[in-house]
Amino acid sequence: MNYVTTIGGREFVVEIVDERHIMVNGTLCEVDFDNVSDQPVFSLLLNGQSYESYVYSGDEGWEVLLHGSLYLAKVEDERERRLRASTGSRVADREEFHLRAPMPGLVVTVPVVEGEKIEKGDVLLILESMKMQNELRSPRSGKVSRVRVKPGDSVEQRQTLLSVV
Amino acid sequence: MFNKVLIANRGEIAVRIIRACRELGMQTVAVFSEADRQALHVRYADEAYLLGPPPSRESYLLGEKIIDIALKSEAGGIHPGYGFLAERADFAQACLDAGLAFIGPKPSAIAAMGDKAVARSTVRRAGVPVVPGTEGEGSLGDEELLSLAPEIGFPLLIKATAGGGGKGMREVNSLEEMPALLHSARREAEASFGDGNVYLEKLLEGARHIEIQVLADAHGNVIHLGERECSLQRRHQKLLEETPSPFVGDDEELRQSMGALAVRAAQAVGYVNAGTIEFLVDKDKNYYFLEMNTRLQVEHPVTEMVTGVDIVKEQIRIARGRQMRYTQDDIFMNGWAIECRINAEDPYNNFLPSTGRITHSLLPTGPGVRVDTGVYPGFEISPYYDSLISKLIVWGETRAEAILRMRRSLEEYKIAGVRTNIPFHQNLMDSHRFMGGQYDTRFVEKRFSMEAAEEGKTDQSGIAAIIATLVAHQQTQRAAHIIQRGERDTSNWKWLSRWERLQR
Repeated sequence: MNYVTTIGGREFVVEIVDERHIMVNGTLCEVDFDNVSDQPVFSLLLNGQSYESYVYSGDEGWEVLLHGSLYLAKVEDERERRLRASTGSRVADREEFHLRAPMPGLVVTVPVVEGEKIEKGDVLLILESMKMQNELRSPRSGKVSRVRVKPGDSVEQRQTLLSVV
Repeated sequence: MFNKVLIANRGEIAVRIIRACRELGMQTVAVFSEADRQALHVRYADEAYLLGPPPSRESYLLGEKIIDIALKSEAGGIHPGYGFLAERADFAQACLDAGLAFIGPKPSAIAAMGDKAVARSTVRRAGVPVVPGTEGEGSLGDEELLSLAPEIGFPLLIKATAGGGGKGMREVNSLEEMPALLHSARREAEASFGDGNVYLEKLLEGARHIEIQVLADAHGNVIHLGERECSLQRRHQKLLEETPSPFVGDDEELRQSMGALAVRAAQAVGYVNAGTIEFLVDKDKNYYFLEMNTRLQVEHPVTEMVTGVDIVKEQIRIARGRQMRYTQDDIFMNGWAIECRINAEDPYNNFLPSTGRITHSLLPTGPGVRVDTGVYPGFEISPYYDSLISKLIVWGETRAEAILRMRRSLEEYKIAGVRTNIPFHQNLMDSHRFMGGQYDTRFVEKRFSMEAAEEGKTDQSGIAAIIATLVAHQQTQRAAHIIQRGERDTSNWKWLSRWERLQR
């Protein structure tokens, strides 16, 4: 199986040859890859070099935390890649943005109202958790719609708080 | 003299105090909220009693109930740790009234130093310089503060009178933005300390935050244990502390004069037990009294590492009415110590707190490494308390050795289940300014970013790409195995159990 993995604009073509071998951009490497005690911690032996990293599946791909640096990796197999090429990429700015609670907490204030025009980076809501007041900002410009919470509400993690269209 | 101690706290500090008691051969009593039934302090203590529901107000802040438990369990002393009831003069007094030893200063000293405005006017009378501000003016209303602000000058800080740890603190750059910031500071102070009073203080630019640890016994002996450099902060929360301070360095004269001043400030309020005098030091080595923390500090271990003094054991010894084991002449600083506060927060997502169950934890060990923690795999990091998971402390013969050892330890430390700020500390250890000791209290906010720190580091995109691909591949393969039922070479039951494991 062939994969194309992109990190920071750089593409790596990785071919899975067999259980112990991969081709990276045309170079054959010996690999031994293992998951450490069922955790998102992985150990890689690559031509004898030992690496350990955390791997999380994020909203925009795989997050690989390696030696104190975070790498965002998009992994596509050939089929996915062709499929994407044919449909074209989507425009993120046209999409609705749903602000979800990044953690459980208490809504302190909602400085915006429904229908209000906002800029990218504006504060949408202040959420108190772990005794800290956390400002949640908008990743895009647009109009506020459907404010689902009010000050004083307790919210669960990933609960949708409001939307920006 | 008491032989049983109740620890009115939770988390790593409760564990730290239990350890000191154990080594002294004393019995320990833990108290806990419903969220902490499985916490390490409950598991380590000889006895443990439930306080109430998770919120602090209904558990760890219930002074009367805690005193009641102490009396019922026949504990003779109460150690408050830090936070919660540690700097509440009324609680210390209530302990004494109930015939219990409060392992900390006298209520009068907590009251004098605890109200920061009173503290500043007290030490000023003792000849200790203070930062310009509305100290000693009592509780002022918004109008008065707004009219005093231009006299102090901008930028300035709004600080909670009863506060600490950056809660209820706001930086103000102009008069226009001040009313809104006053409002939010009061609200946060009210929520954290039950007291919405605030005061103003001039913000010194390029300043360092250096503090002196003092110890005082009931026989009139007061000593200092040198300084701690605490300038590395984010939103006024300390992230890393070290001792000695690279800024004080070889300047023994500065160290001893700050130490002597700290001792004088402690004596001004008849201080007994462990305390810390915080100073702001400007680039010309002028120093100003900031506040006194009338309790054990989070960062006390770095001082323990270089002086060899077990501060918690000394606290207990002092509370039992004994003389300290040390005089000033016994105190030497040997080598260098650094502490990194490991918090459950995501450095790649604006340091937002991260909650969840710790699924995996591999602690760094080996020469010169100490970890103070209250968590273990399976423990839930809840949103009710602060985000401190552990303190990673290293000792080295020199600062360079300590930094290299910290780097090594941070790489060894593996925690899964919640996001942590370990990568932040790793980047800090690689930062040239940190290595050169060139930082002030604004360093993290003004000059440091996770991205910039990564510039010039060895790029390991290729390795990361291989790891991500192999994880993705494993996942696809597993999914394929489940779909292609006919191709199984093992029993359905085995596949079912494997599949279930995947779904966990």
